[in-house]
This record gives sequence, structure tokens and C-alpha cells, in this order.
Amino acid sequence: MDDENSNPFRRMSSRTRKVAPKMAAALASSDNRTQAALARLEALENDNAGIETIEPNDDDEASLDDDDQAYMQKRSKGTKRKTRQAKALENARKAPRTFLELLHEANLESLPAHVPSYLRAAVGPPSSTSRRHFCSVCGFTANYTCVTCGMRFCSGRCQNIHNDTRCMKFVA
Amino acid sequence: MSNVVVLDNGGGLLKAGQGGERNPAVVIPNCLYRPLTSKKFLHPTTTLSSTTEDLTSAAIRRPIDRGYLINPDLQRDIWSHLFTSLLHVTPSSSSLLLTEALFSLPSIQRSTDELVFEDFGFNSLYVADSPSLVHLYEASRRPYGLVSEAQCSLVVDCGFSFTHAAPVFQNFTVNYGVKRIDLGGKALTNYLKELVSYRSVNVMDETFIMDDVKEKLCFVSVDVERDLQVARKRGNDNLFRCTYVLPDGVTHTKGYVKDPEAAQRHRILTDGATPSRAVETKKETDHLEVMEKSEERKRVDLTKNEFDLTNERFLVPEMIFQPADLGMNEAGLAECIVRAVNACHPCLHPVLFQSIILTGGSTLFPRFAERLEKDLRPLVPDDYQVKITTQEDPILGVWRGGSLLASSPEYESMCVTKAEYEELGSARCRRRFFH
Repeated sequence: MDDENSNPFRRMSSRTRKVAPKMAAALASSDNRTQAALARLEALENDNAGIETIEPNDDDEASLDDDDQAYMQKRSKGTKRKTRQAKALENARKAPRTFLELLHEANLESLPAHVPSYLRAAVGPPSSTSRRHFCSVCGFTANYTCVTCGMRFCSGRCQNIHNDTRCMKFVA
Repeated sequence: MSNVVVLDNGGGLLKAGQGGERNPAVVIPNCLYRPLTSKKFLHPTTTLSSTTEDLTSAAIRRPIDRGYLINPDLQRDIWSHLFTSLLHVTPSSSSLLLTEALFSLPSIQRSTDELVFEDFGFNSLYVADSPSLVHLYEASRRPYGLVSEAQCSLVVDCGFSFTHAAPVFQNFTVNYGVKRIDLGGKALTNYLKELVSYRSVNVMDETFIMDDVKEKLCFVSVDVERDLQVARKRGNDNLFRCTYVLPDGVTHTKGYVKDPEAAQRHRILTDGATPSRAVETKKETDHLEVMEKSEERKRVDLTKNEFDLTNERFLVPEMIFQPADLGMNEAGLAECIVRAVNACHPCLHPVLFQSIILTGGSTLFPRFAERLEKDLRPLVPDDYQVKITTQEDPILGVWRGGSLLASSPEYESMCVTKAEYEELGSARCRRRFFH
């Protein structure tokens, strides 16, 4: 938007201007549709299906009983026992952090613009905004959008399948 | 001097061996896995596609996420297994040549250095990036080719975690020109998993099996519109339909393609032949077989542990060429290459377009190079030539480059030794590698 204000003589079609803020709003908004789309993309990087749980070390599971015993002993001695919160904190410190956390920590945004970094190496948005749509049910070219959830389908048949199995089933 | 261990520490496969040799001694998945029958995570001993073990619903732990080392403890575990039981080397008397993804974060570099010097105690270390190693290898293979004469190339590394288009000049990766797409083999496998799970059988847990499906059945479509029409046809006209049989755990522990010949039928659809004619010629040739095949299909269908693939076979690799279709706000591979070239000096543009090298496991999809050229040509100025070279073994290309570098006489002087690391610390040692 800054660009438009700074250069009043630049000619732009009114159509793109109308669309762009809406798009920006859609991307920034926290509504379910975009969140679901982002979650879907995020899921592509998962190692195992389902929600990625940060697993504690293998031996942790085995040593649960020992822990309990130690804990009983400690309590009987009256020494300071580990609270659940402290334990959780310790586990969190030991657990491997995800790449996104590390990336956030590295604070690459603060680097000057000319320094190449992970963030600047990203290829960026495509030059054309056109996008092909494939039916979420059968995979062929889809001409219709579901009004409830925004996924695509290609025919009445696929719409029925979509409504029965998928529509809003994963958003809410 | 001491021997050099060359280690291409990829997100998917770990390639390791002695410097100077042609092929790595060990190629294993860089992960621990836990089959259903086991309570502990196990070390893979070979590539998992060649084991006879039952890998149904095996859980996986990977030390590398999105191409970067995030779990040093797990990596230490895998490396110590690798060095002691597979490679039989003593780290304290050898040097390590390690590959690392481009633009590694300082914290990750530090933990890698700690791993190499403090946990394993290697004598010296050289950290290389994969594009320059690929360039080195290709330049040495054709001493009078363009790549070595002009001393620059554009390496397209389409691996497990992501895809990079990296210009290389005088054996150094031009880091301001590198462009990255956040899509690689792992994302493609997961995407295929999602599609198959929604459309036929739930395979969300079967990472290894779906990897196998992807490698055997997926291909890159040269003309998506046409192929979608072919995939829509019914019965035997549909050249793309093929069936994959999931392991049942009793008679076979590995999945397999039901009819390997049918799986190859997509190859007859070349650009010249129209689909209908190709189908007809095919029809005449194996008219007799058809009856037997359909009989067979009906018979085995009762077991219900198989699924059909049609358009998924080419729509999955298609995502690398147009990530926007998936909803990602990223440009496709062809545009990625153009942007990488445009970031370099204009004098290099014609040479870079003529020396595109494809490497990485995801370029093994049939017709990858053909499609890339088709996409790239309209984006490149008319008077420039486009030439795409594929490596003879894209998975091992980086390792071979590393092996070559390790056997060169300058290698020793490029390394950081343990003493230097102890004196200067990680950050200052890293400056030597010009990353």
C-alpha cells in the first residue's frame, strides 16, 4: 500500500487494487479456512502421521518406574521433590526444538537486506497469480468451490462425496 | 596423511565412505525406525527398500527437519553406529568432509561442530555445500565441456527436504543467487499419502511403503492437460491406472506393483503420438493378455489390500513445477531457476542457462528433465540456449564430488583442525569455508 501512496502517478487497474487488500486480509486473518490450508502444508513436512509429538528419549519410558520409586523415597525423606511443572520445563529443555523455533531464534530478519540468508533464499511468490484447481475428491480439473469450506470439486458426484466425508470435518 | 571420511548427511539418505573412492561404502536412511514388532528404535543397516523386514506402520525419527540438523543427540546416535559398526573408522585419526545445507543457522553450525570435534573427536573438518561438490564432479568428468571451461554452472538440487537452484562460479556457490523451493521428496511422499488415504486406503502411517510407491509409480507429465484426459478414460484405455498391492504380513512383507508392465505404459505417450493412436497400437499388441489380466484382477481383488493410482501418479511430482496448485505461495522450479540466474551478473546468464545440472533423488522421476526444459524454454530469452544435464546417479552425485575433493592435494590446507577449533571456536572457524 505504501507504493501506491508514494507514487500517485502510477497507473494501476482498479481491479487489482480492490482484490489485493482482500487477499492480504485473508492471509493475515485467523479464520479457519486459511488456517486449515496452512496446517495442511505444514503437515507435508511431518515425519510420522498425526500430530507430531515431541518424544522424550527412549530410556525415559523405561525408567518411569524407577522415577516413581525415587520419588517415593525422596518424599519419605522429606527432601524437595520435583514438581510436575519443573519436570515439564526440564523435558522441554531437553527435547529437540523444531527448525522453525531455531529459525525464529536466529532472528534473521534483523540482518541487513543485502546479506543472503535462509529467508532471502526463498524463491518467493509466483509471477502469475493464476492457479490450477484440482478436485479434492478425484483429482481432475475442478471448476467449483465448496461454499462452506473452500475446497474444490469437479462434479455433483464429487460434491456429495466431499460433503459426506470431508467438508468442515477438519476445520472445526 | 590420515584417511578422509566423506559424509553426505542428507535429510533422507546418509551417504558415507572413504575419500578417493568412486562409490560410498554405506548408503542408509538417516533415521531410526521402529517397526510394529519392536519396542525400540532400530538402526537401519541397508537402504530400507532392499530389506525383507516388515516395515508396516513403522514409526520414524529423523535428526534432520527441513534440511537442517535439529536433533544432534539423535544424529550422534546414528553417526556413532555408522562410524563404529558400518565404516569401521577411528574418528581421532581421520578427517571428516561433511556436507551441510546452504544457509545453515549459526546455532545449527555450532551444534554440528560440537558433534564433530567434541563428541567424536575428529582430527579435522571441512564443511562443503552440495552445489559446489556437484559442480566439481561434473567439471572433472568432462574436462573440455562447458562446465569446466567456463567454470560455472547452475546446480538444481532437488532432494529430500527442499529444492535449491544454486549458481556455482569458480567452485564457489554464489550465495546471493541461490533460490529455494520448500518442497522435496518428503513433502511429495506425504502428499501422496494424503491423497491415497482420502481416496482409497488409509496409509498415513506407511511412510516406507509410500516411498516405494512414489519411486516406482510416479512420473512427471510433459503435458498435464492431455494426461488428465487420458487418466479420465475407463477400462483399458486408461494408460495410467495401475494397482499397488500392500503387504499383508503373511505371504509377502513388501508391497509391490501388481502389473509392472502396465505401470510402464505411460512411456508410450510421447509428444509426437496422439494418445488415441498410441492406445490403439498398444491394444493390438496385447489384445490377448487383456483377458487374462482382467480375470486375474477380479480374483485377487477380494483381499482388499491394494489400491489403484491414476492421476496421482503425475499430479504428485507436478507440485514441484507448480507449488501454487497446492496452495503454497511459491514459484515453480522453472521460475526458480530463472530467478537464480537473474540474480547473477548478466555476463553469466547465457552460460548458466547452458549448464544446468540436475541432482538429488527427486530428479529421478521419469521425464523430469524433459518437463523442466519445456517449462523453462518460454521463460529464457530467445538467443540463449537451454541445456539440462542429468547426473548418471543423482543420489550419489554430491558424495562423488566430495570424494574427489577429499583426494585433491589442497584438501588438507582447506580443513579446520581440532586444535584450531579449540583455539578459535566455531564461529571463526566457519569463516574459512566462506559460507
